[in-house]
Amino acid sequence: MKKATALWIAACMAAGLMTGTAAADETEKKNFVFGDTTFNAENEEANINPHEAYCGWACLRYGVGETLFKIQDDSTLAPWLAEGYELVDENTWKITMKEGVCFSNGKPCDAQAVKASLEHLIEVHDRARGDLKIASMEAEGNVLTIVTESTNPTLLNYLSEAYGCVIDMEEGITEDGMVVGTGPYVAVELVTDDHLNLVKNENYWADEVKVDEVTVRTISNGDTLALALQSGEIDAAYGMAYASYPLFENDAYTFTGIQTSRSFYCQMNFQSEIIQDDAVRKAIAMGIDKEGFVGVLLNGYGYVGKGAFPETFPFGGQNVDTQTYDPEGAMAVLEEAGWVDTDGDGIREKDGVELEIKWLTYPSRQELPLLAESAQASLKAIGINMIPNVTADHNSIWKDPTQWDVYAAANVNCGLGDPMNFFSTHCLDASTKNRGQYHNDRVEELAAEMYSTFDSDERAALTIEMQQELLDDNAFIFCSFLRMSMISKASVTGLTAHTCDFYELTSDLDIE
Amino acid sequence: MSEVTVRKQKVRKNHTKKRLIFFGLLALALLLVAVFAGRLVPYDPYEQNLSLSKLPPSREHLMGTDLYGRDMFSRVLIGAQTSILYTLVLVLIISVGGTVIGVLCGYFGGKADSIMMRISDICLAFPGLVFALAVAALLGGGMSNAVIALAVISWPKYSRVARSQTLAVKTEPYAAAARMAGGNAWQIITRHILPNILGPILVTAVLDIGTMMMELAGLSFLGLGALPPTAEWGNMMSTGRSMLQTHPWLVISPGIAIFITVVIFNLLGDAVRDYLDPRNSSR
Amino acid sequence: MKRYVMKRLLQLIPILLAITFLSYGMMRMAGSDVVEQKMENTNASVSQDVIDAARAELGLDQPFLVQYGVWLSRLLRGDMGTSYVSRKPVFSTFVGKLPATLLLTVVSILLTILVSIPLGILAAVKQNKVTDYIVRCFSFIGNSLPNFFVSLLLMYLFSIRLGWFPVISQGITMKSVALPAMTLAIAMSSKYLRQVRAAILDELSKDYVTGARARGVRFSVTMLRSVLKASLVTIVTLLTLSIGSLLGGTAIVESIFMWDGVGKLAVDAINMRDYPMIQAYVMWMAIIYVFVNLVTDLSYHCLDPRIRLGGMEP
Repeated sequence: MKKATALWIAACMAAGLMTGTAAADETEKKNFVFGDTTFNAENEEANINPHEAYCGWACLRYGVGETLFKIQDDSTLAPWLAEGYELVDENTWKITMKEGVCFSNGKPCDAQAVKASLEHLIEVHDRARGDLKIASMEAEGNVLTIVTESTNPTLLNYLSEAYGCVIDMEEGITEDGMVVGTGPYVAVELVTDDHLNLVKNENYWADEVKVDEVTVRTISNGDTLALALQSGEIDAAYGMAYASYPLFENDAYTFTGIQTSRSFYCQMNFQSEIIQDDAVRKAIAMGIDKEGFVGVLLNGYGYVGKGAFPETFPFGGQNVDTQTYDPEGAMAVLEEAGWVDTDGDGIREKDGVELEIKWLTYPSRQELPLLAESAQASLKAIGINMIPNVTADHNSIWKDPTQWDVYAAANVNCGLGDPMNFFSTHCLDASTKNRGQYHNDRVEELAAEMYSTFDSDERAALTIEMQQELLDDNAFIFCSFLRMSMISKASVTGLTAHTCDFYELTSDLDIE
Repeated sequence: MSEVTVRKQKVRKNHTKKRLIFFGLLALALLLVAVFAGRLVPYDPYEQNLSLSKLPPSREHLMGTDLYGRDMFSRVLIGAQTSILYTLVLVLIISVGGTVIGVLCGYFGGKADSIMMRISDICLAFPGLVFALAVAALLGGGMSNAVIALAVISWPKYSRVARSQTLAVKTEPYAAAARMAGGNAWQIITRHILPNILGPILVTAVLDIGTMMMELAGLSFLGLGALPPTAEWGNMMSTGRSMLQTHPWLVISPGIAIFITVVIFNLLGDAVRDYLDPRNSSR
Repeated sequence: MKRYVMKRLLQLIPILLAITFLSYGMMRMAGSDVVEQKMENTNASVSQDVIDAARAELGLDQPFLVQYGVWLSRLLRGDMGTSYVSRKPVFSTFVGKLPATLLLTVVSILLTILVSIPLGILAAVKQNKVTDYIVRCFSFIGNSLPNFFVSLLLMYLFSIRLGWFPVISQGITMKSVALPAMTLAIAMSSKYLRQVRAAILDELSKDYVTGARARGVRFSVTMLRSVLKASLVTIVTLLTLSIGSLLGGTAIVESIFMWDGVGKLAVDAINMRDYPMIQAYVMWMAIIYVFVNLVTDLSYHCLDPRIRLGGMEP
C-alpha cells in the first residue's frame, strides 16, 4: 500500500514537472514584463483607449500614446509631439506640430490627425470636453488652431492629460479597446484585468526602441506582485505594498521613486453638526500623527503633508501654516470648547452628545486603511471615538451626509501642473466633489480671479492664499504625499518615476 | 471469545470516555480564555505605539508587536473572543435553527415540509462560499454580516440530518406507542426524538467549527469579514501576510492559534462521535 | 432509468426557476440599478425627470415580477445585461472565462483524489499506528490553514526557492494550474482523507472482511475487490461535495494566482459592486452545481443498484 501511495505521488510530481519544460528562445529578443496593480477595470483602466474613462493613463504610461506637451517633474510643460504654441488672443491657441512625427503604422501625425483625435475625444469623453472647453479647431499643415468657448489658461495642461494621447482615428479603436498611437510601443493583444502585450515600434519617430517585447501584467494582489518579482517572473513592479519594500532593498533590485502630488487627505463634512464645531475640526487636525503615518506605516516612503501641494512646487506647502500633531493641544482645544469626558469611558461628550466621528475611506489605495487605523488610535487618545468605514462602496455612501463626518481619500492634486483643478473639483460651491458642502466666500472670490489669470506667479500667489483659507478653516487635512516608486531588477535601466505618474515605459527602457 | 470481546469493548468505552473528557476540558479551557481574554491580556490590544512597530518576539512581547506597535500576544488572546465566539454563535445558530426546522418538517410533514425542503434544496444548490460572497457583498463587511452570510447557506445540512432521523424515529414502535398513549407532539419530540438525534447533530456541529472558522477567515481576506482594528485571527493573518518573509511572527501567531483551535475541536468531535457510537470507536 | 432521468430533470425546473429568481431578487435588493449607475458615472447632476424617463425606457418602472419575467426571457436568449464596469456583455465575458475555472476545478479534484484516497486507505489500514497519526496530523494542518496563506507558502516554496512553477499564471497551461490546484487540493484532501478513512474503516469492520480473512483471501485482494467498491458511494458523495466547495473556493485562489477564470471575475465584481456580473456568477455556479448533483445521483444508481430509483429521499 505504501508503495502504491508513493507511486501515486511520484506520478503527480512527474506530471507536474513534464509540463514544466518550456521551449527555449530562438533569438536573443529583449523581453520585458511589467507587473502593475492599477491597470484594471476597477481603476477605470479597462483598456488603452484614451477616449474612454481613465484608460488613457494606461495608453500614456505604457508608451503606446503620446501627448502634444509633456509635464516635467517641476510641473512645467515641455513640447513633445508639438514644437511650440502661440496664444493669439485669450481664446485662440496656435499649436505647431513637430516635423516627422508619425504613428506606429507609419502614417504621419500632422495637425489634421491631431484634430481628428481631439474631435472624437470631446465627442465621447465628458470630462475632457469640460476641461478643454474647445469651441472649434482648424488644421492647416503643421498648425492646429484651437478656439476655446471661454478663457482657458490651462488648455495646454489639459491637453497633456492622458486622454490627450493622440491616436490614429483612421485606424480607429478596436473592440478590445486598442489604439494606434505615436509611442515607442505598439499594442498587439489586450485582455482586460489580465495582460497587455506590446511590441517595439519599428517606426518610432524620436528614437530607437531597445526592448523588443513588453508584457504588462495586471496583478491586483500585492503579495503576488512581490513574489512574482522575487521569482523573476516580472522585471519591474508598480504599486508594491510598503510592507514588501524591505525584500527589495538590496543590490539585486533598483528603486526609482519621486515625490508626487498624490495626496492622502481628509475632507470634512460641513453638513454634520459635530463637524460644524470649529474645535472638533481643529482637534482632529491636531490629533493625526502625520509623521508616524509616513515614517512607520509607510516605511518612510512618503512625505508629510502641510498644504494641498508638495514642497517641490512653487505654491507648495512651504508657504502655508497648519496644525501639527499635538495631542495635548488638541485636548486643551476640546476642553475649552466644552467637550469633557464626564462618564469616564475615555470619550468626551458635550450636552449629552458623545464625541463620535464617522470616518469614511476605501481600501483600493493601500495607504488609506493604514491612515484610518492609525488615526482611530490617535484620536481615541484625545477622547474622540472614531468609527472607521473602509469600503469600496464609498462613492455611494458619501452622497448621504448622515453616513459620514470625515472622508479620507487619495487624489492627485496637481497632476497637470495646474493647481486650480484641486480647488475647482473639491472646494467650491459648484464643485462636483465638494462632498462636505464646504463654503468660504474668500475662496470663491479667489477662484473667480484664478480663472482669468494667465501669469504663473500671480496664479501661485492666489493658490497659496486659497490653501491657507482651507487650512485656517480646518476644512481639509493634508496628511501626506505619495512617493511613487517602481522596483525593478538591477538589470533594468531607463525606468524612471515621474511626478505626474505618467511616462513609465519609454524608449529609454533597456535590459542589460 | 465473547467474554474477551465484551471486556475489550468495556476497556474501549472507558478509553473513549477519557478522551472525551480530556478534549472536552481542552475545549472548555479555550472557551474560558476567549471569555476572559479581556482580563488576561498583558497590554491593551488596541493601544498603538508606532515607536514599537514590528518588534520581534521578546520577554516583554511574547509574540512580538504588529505594524502599529500593538502587542501581538494580547491581540491573539482578544482575537480568541472574536474568532471563537463568532464561530460558536454561527454554529449554534445553524445547528439549532436547522435542527428545529428539520424536526418539525419530519414530524408534521405536509405542505410546510415540502416547501421547507425545497428551500433547503435551493440553499444547497448554491455552492457554499459563492452564496456567502454574494450575501456578504450585499450586506457589506463586518463580522455579523459574515456570520449571517454563512448561516444562510449552512443550515440545510442540519435540517437534512434532523429530518431523516426524525422520520426514522417516528416509525419506531416506542414513538408510536407514546403517541397512542396520548402524548402530544411536544412531549414526543422532546422525550423521544430529540435525545435520539442529538448525537449526530452534535458531532456535525463540533466538526463544523473548524470549517466555519476557515470560511470566516476567507471572507476576512476578501475584506468581507472582520473590520479593522478588530482583532480576529483570520483578519490578522490576512493583514500580516505581506510581512510573512520579513516579520513572520505577525502571521504565525494567529496561524498557530487557529491551528490549535481547529485541532481541539476536531478531536473533540471525533471523541463525541466515538462516545455516542461505540461501534465506530477510535476513528 | 429513462423515466427516472426524465423525472429528475422535471424536478430541476422549479429549482432552476428559484435560483434565477433568488439571484435576480438579491441583486435588485442591492439597490442601485443600471440607470443610477450610469448617472453616477457621468458625474453630472441629472433631473429626476430624465432618470424616470430612462427607467421607463428600460422597463424599470414596471412591477417587480414583470421585470423578473423580462429579465428571465432575456436570460433564456443568453442576454444577461452589460457589466457596470467593463460595459461588455456579461454573458459572453462569463462564458469566455468559464473554461479556465473548470480546468482548475477538474485538476484540483484529480489531485484531491490522488492524495486523499490513497492516504485515507493507508490511514485506515494502519489504524492507530504511527502512519495513521502522521497522516491525520497533516490533515489537521491542512484543515487549519486559510487558503490565502497556503497559496503564499506554495508560491514561496515552489516558485522562489525551487523555481518549478510560476507565481502568476502564464495563460491556461498545466504549469500555471499547478500551484492554484495544489492550494485547493491541500484543503480538500485534508478534509476528505479523514472521511475516506472513516468509510474504509466502516467497511473493514464488516463481517465479510473478517470472513474473507478467515478463508485465507489475501488482504490486498479483499481491499481492492470488495472494500474499495463498497466505499465508492461514499467517495462519490465526497467528490460531489468537493465540487460544491471548489466552485466557491476557486474565487480567492484565482485572484491570488491571477488565474483568469470566473472566480477572479467574481472577486473583482464584488469589489466593484458590479451587480450584473455577481448575479451571473452566483446563478451559473448554482446551476452547474445542481447539474453536478444530478449526475452524481444518477451515478449512484450505477454504483449501487440497491438504491431504489424514484423512492430516493432527497
